[in-house]
Amino acid sequence: MSSFAYAVPGTKDEALALLNELGSGARIVAGCTNVLPDIRAKKIAACTLVDISKLAELKGIDVRGDRVIIGSLTTINELLHSDLVASHGQVLWQVGRRFADPLTRNRATIGGNLANASPAGDGVVPLLALEAKVIVASLAAEREIPVAEFLTGPGRSALQPNELIVGVSFTKTTAMRSVFIKFGMRKSMAISLASIGLMVGLDGDRVEQVRIALGALAPTAIRARQTEDYLTGKPLAPEVVTRAQEIIRTEAKPISDVRASREYRVHLAGVLLKRALEAALA
Amino acid sequence: METTVVDEGLTKIDACHKAQETTIIGKRRPKIDAWPKAKGTTIYADDFTMPGMLHAKVLRSKYPAAMILAIDTGKAEALPGVHAVLTCKDVPNNNLRAKFGQSTDVGSNFEGLYRVLAESKVRFMGEAVALVAAESLKIAEEALDLIKVDYEPLPGVFDPIEALKPGAYRVGESESNVVSRFKVRKGDVEAGFAAADVIVENTYRVPFGDHAYLEPESGVAWVDEDEVINIRVSTQVIEHFRTVAEVVGLPQNRIRVIGTWLGGGFGGKEDITVESFLALLTLKTGRPVKLTYTREESLLAHGKRHPYIMKYKTGATRDGRLVALEAELISDAGAYTYLTPWILLYSTVNAAGPYNIPNVKVDTVSALTNNPFTSANRGFGAVQPNVAYESQIDELARVLGMGPLTIRQKNCLRQGDSLATNFKFDRYVAVAEAAEKAWQALGPVPESQDKNIRIGHGLAVGMMSYGRLTFLHDSSRCFIKLELDGSVVVRCGVQDLGGGQASTLCEIVSEELGIPLEKIKIYIADTALTPLAGTTTATRMLYMSGNATLKTARELKQRLLTKAEAMLGARAADLQIANECIVNPVDPEQQITLKEAIDACATDGIELFYEGQFNAPFTEVPTSEIISGPTFADFTFGCHAVEVAVDVDTGAVDVRKLIACFDVGKAINVLNVEGQLEGGAIYNMGYALTEDLIVEKGYLKTPSFSEYLIATSVDVPDVETIMIESGAGLGPYGAKGVGEPADNSIAPAILNAICDAVGVRITTMPATPERVFWAMQEQQQKSRQ
Amino acid sequence: MELQNEITVSVRINGTQFTAAAAPEESLLEFLRTRAMVMDVKCGCNKGDCGTCTLILDGQPVKSCLVLVAQANSKEVWTVKGMALDPLMQALQESFATHGAIQCGFCTPGMLVTARSLLADCPQPDRAAIKEALSGNLCRCTGYKKIVDAVAAVAACQASARVQGGRCRVWKQQ
Repeated sequence: MSSFAYAVPGTKDEALALLNELGSGARIVAGCTNVLPDIRAKKIAACTLVDISKLAELKGIDVRGDRVIIGSLTTINELLHSDLVASHGQVLWQVGRRFADPLTRNRATIGGNLANASPAGDGVVPLLALEAKVIVASLAAEREIPVAEFLTGPGRSALQPNELIVGVSFTKTTAMRSVFIKFGMRKSMAISLASIGLMVGLDGDRVEQVRIALGALAPTAIRARQTEDYLTGKPLAPEVVTRAQEIIRTEAKPISDVRASREYRVHLAGVLLKRALEAALA
Repeated sequence: METTVVDEGLTKIDACHKAQETTIIGKRRPKIDAWPKAKGTTIYADDFTMPGMLHAKVLRSKYPAAMILAIDTGKAEALPGVHAVLTCKDVPNNNLRAKFGQSTDVGSNFEGLYRVLAESKVRFMGEAVALVAAESLKIAEEALDLIKVDYEPLPGVFDPIEALKPGAYRVGESESNVVSRFKVRKGDVEAGFAAADVIVENTYRVPFGDHAYLEPESGVAWVDEDEVINIRVSTQVIEHFRTVAEVVGLPQNRIRVIGTWLGGGFGGKEDITVESFLALLTLKTGRPVKLTYTREESLLAHGKRHPYIMKYKTGATRDGRLVALEAELISDAGAYTYLTPWILLYSTVNAAGPYNIPNVKVDTVSALTNNPFTSANRGFGAVQPNVAYESQIDELARVLGMGPLTIRQKNCLRQGDSLATNFKFDRYVAVAEAAEKAWQALGPVPESQDKNIRIGHGLAVGMMSYGRLTFLHDSSRCFIKLELDGSVVVRCGVQDLGGGQASTLCEIVSEELGIPLEKIKIYIADTALTPLAGTTTATRMLYMSGNATLKTARELKQRLLTKAEAMLGARAADLQIANECIVNPVDPEQQITLKEAIDACATDGIELFYEGQFNAPFTEVPTSEIISGPTFADFTFGCHAVEVAVDVDTGAVDVRKLIACFDVGKAINVLNVEGQLEGGAIYNMGYALTEDLIVEKGYLKTPSFSEYLIATSVDVPDVETIMIESGAGLGPYGAKGVGEPADNSIAPAILNAICDAVGVRITTMPATPERVFWAMQEQQQKSRQ
Repeated sequence: MELQNEITVSVRINGTQFTAAAAPEESLLEFLRTRAMVMDVKCGCNKGDCGTCTLILDGQPVKSCLVLVAQANSKEVWTVKGMALDPLMQALQESFATHGAIQCGFCTPGMLVTARSLLADCPQPDRAAIKEALSGNLCRCTGYKKIVDAVAAVAACQASARVQGGRCRVWKQQ
């Protein structure tokens, strides 16, 4: 007899009731691209696997007013094939082709990438740039948490044991230019050494507004607020970009690990910023 | 001869032997195993199951260096569904000398300890401590958790230089940490350097490497009705049956090893993997047992490519003539000896490269450490010094303002020249030709279209033996039998790693006997039923078994022609055999079918089968540290030329063009040879750039394929191959071996191209973006000062 | 809501229904290899790093080691053996053999399944698109060139045959 149990709720409310009942004894599973390796590595101990993959309420990509709402079960491949995402949340669409590999993209979900809360998770970086909100439901209520607040540490999030990620929403952003750049040790199936999601509104070469999200450069994906503040209102002249690179390097707080040193990752933060700004200008 | 890529598209195999001049050899032809592999019907080691089969797991040491104070298996044994829990005390013969099918006793200098299960002193993290067989994998895993091992951690030693110091931690129980030492002495290096106008000195470091075959180690064993232990296993060496016999204390004829089609080997399945464990467990339980490693276990538990520290000093005159080379090579043998002495000997012989250098001094040494044990990996000790000597000559060229092709052409070995070990090349040496062709194919350096990208070209030549060390007295055998219906059975103990090893033998038989491939059935890799053909290692299979097959086929051919001579009243010498006919080409009236000849032989009691043996040249086991004279039968020469794009902001290196030019002697099957050249180049492109098995204080930090990064399809250029067919090889039809040489010189070619692009010499591999970036930073700082 | 420590899974594998008990945390790969004895799906890493276990689920190529078998319940799974009669798969198999795209063959079943999906989806990919599509399937032997050659040759053949336009997301037995 397995030490794991399995439950497959048919509705969101059933799922929430189950989470309420099981508390931390439950583990939500959807695409399973992280959960199964973690079970095998014994990083996930005996628990009930609550399979939410059948919940229709968590699927689909919609526009409501000026908001784009993406169901948490949306796969990366579905994002990649969504015209809505391509036109209203371009930076998220751009991530699609750099995320893991084509096969994994058919299973991995945007909700799972959020829940996993990896500092190097490619899916959360564009959501930060989009100032997306994570829609989280419990039996009692539904609440929206800005992604920046949702991510609380490496592998940790604001999600409570009785809560479920229902989706993410963000404001349509057609006026800004978007760039996503990922730097990994190879071109596919790579874990980011550093990544950047940039959204910038330009008037000529002057920055009207800018949002910069960084991946793998801190305990969570982060916004580079000081760099944003510095750039806002300035023309993207070489000396401005150089100064912005210096600032972003102070904002990056990465770790050293087997893939790269802290110093190198800090350096990459500046390189990625420069390249993202150049790409936005091009 | 240069080959051009002929796209056969989707056409079926053309009916062979349509025309007299058309032969099997030298064509582009799907190998016999391609079809079942495409259909998914090939039964790999783990695909095989038996009724009542148990599942095994191995308990592995958590520490790289520790004393085992006690092992309590009681709880594990009591777990329902567990059938056996074994530790070293259950192994009849736990300590023996590792053998690799050699038929001679090469002595303890060239054979190390093979220990089945850890005894009191653990030597590396992942060393096998206990075995479990249970009704299911899950129960076996659970049982592992119930085995209690009391360890007392020991300090250990993790650096070969430290391990060589007096008073260093002893890795083994009694033996010294020194595994082997060899030397080469030629001329007078002091005088040579005194005469040099330029001297380049560098220390190179190359990392642990994993084979990363996609099929992890696996096998199934059972005891049959005759009490023979059968082991069906993914191995490059079925002849480990002798070692297994010794382990379990049975006669050699009671162990049968059946080799499966391998899901890749690259040297990593040359050592014993699961065989002894399986034999012990099936013997103990009386049930069939399967053992398949997980990927993590595979990375932890099988031998790695040796890391080397290589100090090189090379001197040349102003006009670019090499005058002296001094090299000191230190290799990390890891926790057990395995093939380290042989590999070190390869490195010693290869240390000066394919160059004429009047004064050479080489000192090599290998030390035990508490790191993962190191053993065979494609390139077998030729790869590491190739990185060093080809970096050195490139640096000399740079200092002298000479082109990379020019300096190599000026100094490379040619026919009639000798290695520093006094091995003379009587046959064609293609170094200069290969270098020139590869360099020309690369063309001019294009201008970079991106301000962050610098483009560079790099060249590196290489040499590597094919066939085993000649003091191993290598031989191979093949059995061929003509059936009465004109079909053929071939039996040969060849292990097929996917390089077309078995198919090539069929092609030789088809060529010689004029029988289409479809009518030839080969049985391979079974110690009970196929004549032993030796190991599929050392780039020896085509050379050794190809020659054994050729010899055997020609003997049968002669018998058929002799019979036809009598039947047709023609001279055997005038007759040809093709298209299942024996014919006199000048008088086509004189013709009989092969089947008629076979019938006639059968009627007259002429044997329609033959088993031929081919022996390599034999030499004596070296008794001195100084290596001199022939140690190998022959070498393969080749060259890699690459174009890289280096991102100056990040240090990332992208290989954009890759030319591999090799003298293959004769391509038996062009598709297979190209496959080796293409695959070999990409295999060690990873060695140069991304593959780094990181071990810190004996602990593996790259435990899976998420950390140990081999190239994906989007990371590689389309390798362009140029084949030189000199016919100078010792293999059938003048073929040389290419499997290992194919991966040799690519790593230094990439390092040289990086240097060409951004002016930094990377001396520690792999050349990760970070390493290249910091090297560029350091260079900039130096130039500012 | 029922919590199950053992589940019963029924999967249509290569056109044949197969039902067996399974553990809750079992992957589709484990289920296929140890219960349904579908051995043409290989296990190279068991954590999504190699692609040797690629098969078609819900009409899409996926790494079956990353699929919970419970999630394949009542669904259809196709492996390379099940596509033996599919003309596109046959063309790819022949092309792999004739182009030397197969060495050890351990990556081949997964590679073929991915390649077939690509060509069904996008009949005329260029070389870069082929490489991109195959970039979740590792090969250690070939250096990929001959695999890309093999897929490109079928694509060229398809282009001349002009099978059908548009997207074909769900694979159906031919």
